[in-house]
Amino acid sequence: MAKTKSHQKKFDTRIDFTPMVDMNMLLITFFMLCTTMIKSQTLQIALPSNEKVDTEEQNKVKQSEAVTIIIDGKLDENGLSKPDEGMLFYYDGMPPTGEEILTNNPMKQVEFGNKTGGALPAIREILRERNKDVVAKIELLKKDWKDMKFSNKEEVNDSIYQAKAKEIRNDSTLKRPVIIIKATPNASYAHVVSVLDEMQINNISRYQIDRIGAVDSAMMILVQGQKK
Amino acid sequence: MGKVKIKKKETRIDMTAMSDVTVLLLTFFMLTSTFLQKEPVTVNTPPSVSEEKVPDQNLVSVLVSPEGKVYMAVTGSKDSTYKSETVRADVLKNMASAYNEKHPNNPVKFTAKQVEEFSKVGTFGVPMNQLAKWLDMDIENRDKALEQGGIPINMNEDPNNPNEFQMWIRAAYNSLNPELQETMVRGKGIAIKADQTTPYSVVNVVMDNLQTIKMNKFTLMTALKTEEE
Repeated sequence: MAKTKSHQKKFDTRIDFTPMVDMNMLLITFFMLCTTMIKSQTLQIALPSNEKVDTEEQNKVKQSEAVTIIIDGKLDENGLSKPDEGMLFYYDGMPPTGEEILTNNPMKQVEFGNKTGGALPAIREILRERNKDVVAKIELLKKDWKDMKFSNKEEVNDSIYQAKAKEIRNDSTLKRPVIIIKATPNASYAHVVSVLDEMQINNISRYQIDRIGAVDSAMMILVQGQKK
Repeated sequence: MGKVKIKKKETRIDMTAMSDVTVLLLTFFMLTSTFLQKEPVTVNTPPSVSEEKVPDQNLVSVLVSPEGKVYMAVTGSKDSTYKSETVRADVLKNMASAYNEKHPNNPVKFTAKQVEEFSKVGTFGVPMNQLAKWLDMDIENRDKALEQGGIPINMNEDPNNPNEFQMWIRAAYNSLNPELQETMVRGKGIAIKADQTTPYSVVNVVMDNLQTIKMNKFTLMTALKTEEE
């Protein structure tokens, strides 16, 4: 019996994957461009309620503890504020009354860095100085936290640190400043947020956003006039 | 002389491994992706050192354009019965009844279809008397109307006579979702999103409005700042 030679072609079992890869790459590119990997962060703030706060309540804030920060900015031709031009004014204690504004103006002026939300070294220095008791304690606590002194587990260590830090920030036996933040209508939102940031950076627990008053505006004009 | 045998090299590269990798990457991106929410104005949020993440459920986000136009978006719970759709429909119901109480002469009415449409939209922001018409539009026209719209807002310090923005916030607060109400009380339920270049006076109007209706705890949306220290 003659063997019938099978002429069956030997099929290559390997499949060409190139088109598949092409398509996958396309899809990856699509997903990469359409996704937002970074989620926005939030900054929590609490405003005082709008009910009339009687002035006596406000005066309770000890004069030595209060620091008022005023944020000012400039608008460009489109009515947007320029992020790189801002001014900070600050003064300690209560605003002066009447004639005192002219003779004894406590307000000082600091320029914002030329970077949006950049470090505000001048104001940071001032705030740190006012809040040094708390900052010193937090620094000590931070050391313990870094050495994992509270717990071996990282998560537990973190949460204990957070709780203790909060306790220190709200410790009424320490000398803590009260920061009153005010902003002029032209101030840029970014600057307001970066000043709020400074509160976090310097572990200040007592701060509030307030409306700018006539005395503040008058003092600002005076200070700016002196510089020129 | 011996023949020099040159090995015939296969020019085709095996793509299987490559394919494996790409499929893996694809799966990763598909699972982790959250699509960019379409918003009527693009805003560039200011940088901050705060590391708290924006919650992705039970949130009322208030988008403020640099010109002072206000838009809102309501998100419900992810895994409970109070889904975004249910919550939004209820918010609209609350809002409509509050609006009609204030304007008894020209009340607004929504058909079932319009309510359903509203429960699907992310960001809204047209005056209440145009809302029904807006919901009947197709998507392209809606976007155009949004750009010119914005929720009516003004400096208002009378909680008994709220403006439309305040009525929307209250409607969200009083919706059937207790989780949303709880987060709003804690101050994590309202997030204000505004551009860095927005003048403070614009943001202040929104903050003041919230303050008036005693929603004085809220969050500001920021981007993570890389600290240079």
